Amino acid sequence: MDITLTPEQQALQLEIREYMKSIMSSAMIEEMKDPEYYEGGGPEYRKGLRKMGQDGWIALSWPKEYGGREATAIEQYIFTEEVMRSGFPYPFLTTEAIGPILAEYGSDEIRETVVKGILQGEVVIAIGYSEPGAGTDLAALKTKAEKNDNGWLINGQKIWTSLANFSDYIWLAARTDSDAVKKHKGLSMFLVPKDNPGFSHTPIWTLGVRTNATYFEDLQLDDKYQIGEVNKGWRLITGQLNRERLSLVNHGPIQILYEDVATWAAETQGKDGQPIISKPWVQTNLAKVKTGLEVLRVMNWKQAWAIEENRLGMEQASVAKVYGTEYFVEVYRLLMEVLGQDATIGGDSPGALLQGRLEHRYRVGSILTFGGGCNEVQRDIISAAGLWMPRAR
Amino acid sequence: MDFKLSAEQQDVQKLAIQIFADQTDNEHLRQFDNNSRYDTKLWSDLGETGILGISIDPVQGGMGFGFETLCLVIEEAGRSMAPAPLIPVLVSAALPLQKFGTEQQQSILGRVATGDCLISTAFAEPLNDDPLTPSTTAERVAGGWQLSGLKHCVPYGAQAEKILVSAQSSEGLVALWLSPDNEGIELTDQQSTSGEAQSHMTLTNVLVNDADIMAIGSDAETAMTYALQRTQAALCAFSVGMTDKMVRLTAGYTAEREQFDVKIATFQAVAHRAADAYIDVECLRLATSEAVSLLDQEKPADDSVKIAKIWCGDVTHRTSQASQHLHGGIGVDRDYPLFRYSLWSKQVELTLGGSAQLLSELGESIAETFLNR
Ligand SMILES: Cc1cc2nc3c(=O)[nH]c(=O)nc-3n(C[C@H](O)[C@H](O)[C@H](O)COP(=O)(O)OP(=O)(O)OC[C@H]3O[C@@H](n4cnc5c(N)ncnc54)[C@H](O)[C@@H]3O)c2cc1C
Repeated sequence: MDITLTPEQQALQLEIREYMKSIMSSAMIEEMKDPEYYEGGGPEYRKGLRKMGQDGWIALSWPKEYGGREATAIEQYIFTEEVMRSGFPYPFLTTEAIGPILAEYGSDEIRETVVKGILQGEVVIAIGYSEPGAGTDLAALKTKAEKNDNGWLINGQKIWTSLANFSDYIWLAARTDSDAVKKHKGLSMFLVPKDNPGFSHTPIWTLGVRTNATYFEDLQLDDKYQIGEVNKGWRLITGQLNRERLSLVNHGPIQILYEDVATWAAETQGKDGQPIISKPWVQTNLAKVKTGLEVLRVMNWKQAWAIEENRLGMEQASVAKVYGTEYFVEVYRLLMEVLGQDATIGGDSPGALLQGRLEHRYRVGSILTFGGGCNEVQRDIISAAGLWMPRAR
Repeated sequence: MDFKLSAEQQDVQKLAIQIFADQTDNEHLRQFDNNSRYDTKLWSDLGETGILGISIDPVQGGMGFGFETLCLVIEEAGRSMAPAPLIPVLVSAALPLQKFGTEQQQSILGRVATGDCLISTAFAEPLNDDPLTPSTTAERVAGGWQLSGLKHCVPYGAQAEKILVSAQSSEGLVALWLSPDNEGIELTDQQSTSGEAQSHMTLTNVLVNDADIMAIGSDAETAMTYALQRTQAALCAFSVGMTDKMVRLTAGYTAEREQFDVKIATFQAVAHRAADAYIDVECLRLATSEAVSLLDQEKPADDSVKIAKIWCGDVTHRTSQASQHLHGGIGVDRDYPLFRYSLWSKQVELTLGGSAQLLSELGESIAETFLNR
């Protein structure tokens, strides 16, 4: 076994790290201070994304026919790690999950416009799965799409449709067969252009970020925007969720938080005149963070390697999702304890530490344990697929 | 980056699985419960098939494979609870002997590889498991050294032909090989949680020949660190097999056992506790792979070994308790194999550094790194 990056992989890592500094310009950092733009959508964000498209980074993992570099899963992981580490709100789900689906199932026209637009950094897509009555039990969704002479007529409401306030399309899951015996068998996928008059949205402000409620009222959609086989949408949804699970728990952002807090603690003196890091309890907290972080890194590397080797067990993505998301929550606490009460000062206020990044991470930390398939469902998968235990009910 | 085992490693792993499977059913293991014995028949089989010589130099009759390959065998021993002193003999003693011993000292390795003799290492003293700061003292005398002090929890102290010991002298640390039948050595059996044979060893003015000295000063520190880190990592590898088996026993049992007219595995609380143990074991496996791989390649591994052993301490404890809990009464019954795993879990957890102690050591090392940046 060799659990280290090759010189080529290290070079790629450094190249992207350097490159992302140009994307995370001071104007971009300034723009992100506006809560409206924290997850992207502002002019600087659009500019940065377009540049990444032009410079060929968005297509990194894509096939050559799309101008891609056919990066391995490990290289793609390194890319994800460095982009997340930089703090740029890169639309991974658009480029890595929905983009490839559109390339595979979309018409030539969709490929020419939407897919090309994604790769050029012009197009961002929001995900419209969740509904007020359909969260973890996603297949219970009620938004309805009916076939008519002009294509499809869509009616319904979605909730938590993140990025929908600035995205160009909504990737929508809707019910096309209300009589299907099993509820996940009557679902189909649609790509809804945001400028369609049947579409509207209102903001939802969460304790961390802005998201949206979205409405589809007598929305008439051309046939070309129905993607994949009718009534077989469930497979596209779950395939995408599996990809999402791995990129959720990338170790890059935690690595830099850990390094920044440890550096701060070494450079800052407490009231006893000694560096904060000389306190035993601070050392123990940092040791706990590092103990978990090493495993998170190797786990991610091993899964990327296993994808490359075509031997990723079904329960493995669930293991990473549960371990990573619960570890994140713990890490924010351990690192905030090191900063003390000052950790609660918001980024824009005097006295804020590390630009208030931990204060913000804490606010968004809990989303991951229930989002992306709640951790209970992941544990169900682990006990069934990893341990062959019979399922409940 | 490559997580694959080499073809040769896969062969060794298969061989180990097969040998252990044949000689570790519950009835057979019962003979070795709680009587401080190891399975001499199994040991000589391991010698005959070459497994004992896996990481011993071909010059001494071994196969010369690396530490990582040896750890695959140790993992299988943990999985099967094979009553065989692989870690004390092959890791704690044979590895430093091969790396730092004189030619004469190394001549014993041939008999270690065939299974004809045991060697061991005394890391611990009462209240001190750090072999770099022993209270035992060594003093130069005519023709050699004189040793006084106390070592304990010495695995197979009474059966070993040679025991690696460290002592403090005016010239720094001394690492040397003791013969337990030397005058001035008194051995008393200690009963350990796991049932592994261990000795309490009093040293009163023991004379040691120059020929038995392995290293002095910083060389001795290097040699004892080499032995210590590899032993810690080997305990982790042993625990990977051991905890993995506990989780699988638990999954199998709860999938059969019925209460309230259903298989107890179908209670989500039961399934999720097992899933958490599964995640824990995976984390231990990854931390261990990294530490073992770095040691195998002789790369810096100070923090990685500590991290692996911290996971080892936490995961052995949690998996053992979860497994016992989900089994109910049968889990503590000596007619069912789980109890052995639980006893060994506690033994390994506390051997050569528990999690709290190692977290504190790791924290100091982190502080040092960031203060010197
Ligand atoms: C900030 C934010 C952004 C989001 N972005 C998007 C987005 O862009 N697009 C989108 O479609 N959705 C998005 N979501 C929605 C997210 O995917 C859902 O919140 C998630 O699927 C959980 O659904 P729910 O909130 O309805 O919780 P519920 O499904 O009601 O679950 C609540 C809790 O019930 C328990 N539970 C549920 N099912 C089980 C089970 N089978 N076994 C045991 N316990 C169970 C769990 O503890 C779970 O956490 C976002 C949510 C937030 C908060």
